[in-house]
Parts: sequence; structure tokens; C-alpha cells
Amino acid sequence: MSDAVATAPPPTEPAQPRRRSRKLDQWIAFGTVPFFFTLFGIVFVPLSWMMPPRSPSSSSSQIVEFMQSHNLLIACAILTLSFGLAPLSNAVYLTQIKRMSVSPVFRYSLMVGAMSGAIVGMLFPMFCFGLGSFRDGYDPAILAMLYDFGYLAYIGSLGCFCVMWMSFGLAIILDKNNVLPKWLGYYTVWQYVTELMAAPVWISTSGPFAWNGLMTFWFAMVIYVPWQIIVYVCIYRSIKNQPDRELENA
Amino acid sequence: MTSPQRRIPGGNSLTIAWALLTAVTVVSWLTARDTGSAHVLNAAVTVVVLVIAAVKAQLVIWYFMEVRHAPRWLKAATTGWVIALFTLLLGLYFAGA
Amino acid sequence: MTGVVRSPAGHLGLGRRESPQRNHIPGESSMWFFVIGDLIIFGAYFVAYVYYRGQQPDLFLESQARLNLDIGAANTVVLLTSSLFVALGTSAARSGRTATGVRLFGIALALGAAFPVLKLFEYVPEIVAGVTPGTNLFFMYYFVMTGLHLCHVMLGLVILCFVLRNLRGPAAPKISFVETAATYWHMVDVLWLVLFALLYVMR
Repeated sequence: MSDAVATAPPPTEPAQPRRRSRKLDQWIAFGTVPFFFTLFGIVFVPLSWMMPPRSPSSSSSQIVEFMQSHNLLIACAILTLSFGLAPLSNAVYLTQIKRMSVSPVFRYSLMVGAMSGAIVGMLFPMFCFGLGSFRDGYDPAILAMLYDFGYLAYIGSLGCFCVMWMSFGLAIILDKNNVLPKWLGYYTVWQYVTELMAAPVWISTSGPFAWNGLMTFWFAMVIYVPWQIIVYVCIYRSIKNQPDRELENA
Repeated sequence: MTSPQRRIPGGNSLTIAWALLTAVTVVSWLTARDTGSAHVLNAAVTVVVLVIAAVKAQLVIWYFMEVRHAPRWLKAATTGWVIALFTLLLGLYFAGA
Repeated sequence: MTGVVRSPAGHLGLGRRESPQRNHIPGESSMWFFVIGDLIIFGAYFVAYVYYRGQQPDLFLESQARLNLDIGAANTVVLLTSSLFVALGTSAARSGRTATGVRLFGIALALGAAFPVLKLFEYVPEIVAGVTPGTNLFFMYYFVMTGLHLCHVMLGLVILCFVLRNLRGPAAPKISFVETAATYWHMVDVLWLVLFALLYVMR
């Protein structure tokens, strides 16, 4: 249970406006989430067509054209300016897991998984595609390597997210405080499963196990997209339902 | 082994289900072993082993997982899964072959 | 002694009953959510496998011939028997025969532990012989699917250990937990039954 219960002084008769703003920090952090994800969605998909993943076996000229495309440049510029919001999206998970009755090990694992995942899964691709779009004159072979590096970092960084989702899922399942619904914990375990299924992208360059493959990407998307929406809906409800006296900054 | 089984409720039907499951597994194993080196598509063998697999899955779900005592929606969901899955598997097998 | 009436969700578990009630869902309903979902997810993988197999039947047939069918069949029987003992153990625990339940779950755990050991005897010679996930599409499917299933088995073994701990502990056993764990283990068995058919025996 939260430390706040034991150590916070009992709230004095609060005026209405003051009580309403007690969760403002959580709401601000939460508010960045739809903004961040929508921005990423637009940047990755219709703007740059980085997603759905392009073929690992694209030809050299296709790679060069993509890496030096105008839209990729805009996408990378936007990413560079906004990736700082990622920690906020992850902090939203952490605030919830901290309320659970499970061992602190879970939240530290989630935290480290999120950190390493953001660095490897978001920053590295940003650097790779950014290098292609911000800097002219790279040799096609180098651009091909950056292209592979970027996609593999994005999709192949599964280990970090495995840790993150297994910690989160297990924490929810084992939590006696019922901060988040049990079925969400099990759904999060499926997130972990789809991350595991992404391992073959390191080996296959075509077919269902490539980084744009049916097994590793498309099936995973069917599971991931609803999960990402659902998890934040559940967290929204959880923040809303959290009694003020249990807040850490009560 | 027989005495705990008699004292355990439902133990007999569980053991019978297990014996059936093991028997058909041996059948599948022998069938595959004998056609193993053929390297040829064999629709008869495939139909037999997939139907056996469907029956096995249904047995485990019905008896071991106790779905036979479960509410109707769960019975429908699990039986539906077995039927839908194996229909798809067999269908695709014949579509591709 | 009358049993505790169970809600359809099956949460309370401390009753003594001689046979399961009608319309009873064993264990927690959230585990059934997981089971059905996992069956559907694996189902999609199975269907995709057969689709891709249909596109390259020769490759798949030749590759299948290199699998160790005997170990595959042995593992099937191992899991089926382990499931039997889990089901018997669950029934024993439910009717208050906790000591018998401990014995039965112990046997189930030992059998279950044989699965990864047998798998080692299967995987290692294959890899040493140069057969890896990268060899061809069949073997990618084989290693990925059986590997994912093996992860499920390992998790199941951990869960069974917790069941044993629960049954042997000083406190009254939580039957709902035992049933939930049993449900998971049987699901792992069902998945293997399909895998065995698709990877090892279908032609």
C-alpha cells in the first residue's frame, strides 16, 4: 500500500478547488499520453511511412530514397522535439504499479525496462533515420546499414519490453489492492508474448518472421493496438477512482 | 495407484480419459513413424491425426479442465474453438495441397 | 459438512464437496479469460503455419522428417499424464484430501519437469547438427512455436511449485488458486497436443 497512508497528516477540511487539483500532476502526465501517441502515430505512418515496417529486403535505391526523403526529415525533426514525452507516458504506469501490494522489484523492473526500451527502441531508430535524413552524402551501403539498424532497434529491442510487460502484467495479477483489473494483467502478459515472438526478426529478412512479417508484426499489432488503448483507459479510471487520502502527495 | 483413484471424486473418469488420450497418441505416433520417410503429402494421415488431435483437445478441455460442468457459454466457447481451429487447419491444408 | 456455495466465478474455495457443482467455473474467471485468449492467439499462429506449409509442402515435409518424432510423442504422453495428476490432485484437494493432493501434484510436477529435459535432448542434437531457426521456414516455425510453448511450460512448473507450497502450508489451502493453476497447466497441455499434430505427425 502507498506510504502516504502511514505518513501523511490527515487532510484538513479542504476547500473544493484545492481537492480537485490534488491529482493535477497525474492528470497532466496522463494528458500527454494521447497527444504523444497520436503524434507518433502520425509521424511514423502517414507522414514518413516508416510504419508499417518497410521490407528488410528492399533494394539499395529504395532504401536511399526513403532515408533521404523529405517526409522522413520532417518526421525525425518532430521526433527529436517530442521524444522527451516518452518518460511521462511510462511514469503513468509507474504511478499505478507503486500503489500495488507487490514487491518494489516489479516497479524497478518496469522502470529499467521502460528506460532501456525507450533508449534502444525509440532513440536508436531516431538516430539512424535521423542520420539518413539530416545528413546528406552517406554512401548507400552505410544508409542500408542505418536502415537495418533503425528497424532492428525499433522492433528487435524486444527484451526491454519483455521485462516491462512481464513485470507490469505479473504485478497486476498478484496485486491484492486491485488497482487495475486482473484481466488487464493477463492481457499485458500477451503483450510480453508478442514481444517474444519478435525475436526472429534478427534472423529472417523475408516471410512471416521478418520485421514486417505476419507472425512478428501484423499479429502483434492486432494484440498491441487495442491493448495500448485499453491499458490507458483502465489507468484513467484508476486515477479517477483513487481516493485523495491515498495520494503520495496528499 | 488404484486406491487413491477410487477415493478421489471423479478419479475414474479422469483416468479413463487419460487412457484414451494416451492410446490415440500412440496411434498418431505409429502412423507418423510409418509414413515418416515418405516425404509425400498424405491427406489420409493428416486427416486422421488432426481429427485425433481435435478429439484429444476436446477430451482435455472437457474432462481435465472440467468444462463439462461449466456454464453453457464456456462450453460453447471452448468447443467452438476446437471446431473452428481444426476446420480452418484442415481447410487450409486441402486448399494448399 | 456442507460445502461453501460457489459463485459462478468460483472465487471462494474452502468447501468440502464430493463432486463439482453444475455451472461451475474452476478457478478465477480472469484465468479463463487468459486461457481462451491464449488459445485464440496460438490458434492464429497454427492457422498461419498451415497456410505457409501449403505454399512450400516439400520443404516442410523434408524438414519434418528430421524431427525427433519419438521425443515429441514421449513429451505428449508426459504432459498428458502430468495433466491427469493435476486433475486428480485438484479433485483431491477440493474434497479435503490435502495430503493426497500434495502427493499427486508432486508427481505432476516431476512429470512436467521431464518435458524441458526431453526437449533438451531434442534441441541440442538438432542445433549441433546445424539445424537452427535460420535453416528454413519450417524450422523457424518449429523453434519459435515449441520455444514459446516451452516458456509456457516453465511458467507452469513455477506455478505448480506454488500450488505445492500452498497445499503443504500450515494455512488451509486456497482451492481457487489450485484450480486456477490447474486450468493454466491443462491449457499448456492442449496447446502441445495441437503442436504435436502440426509439427510432428501431419503429412
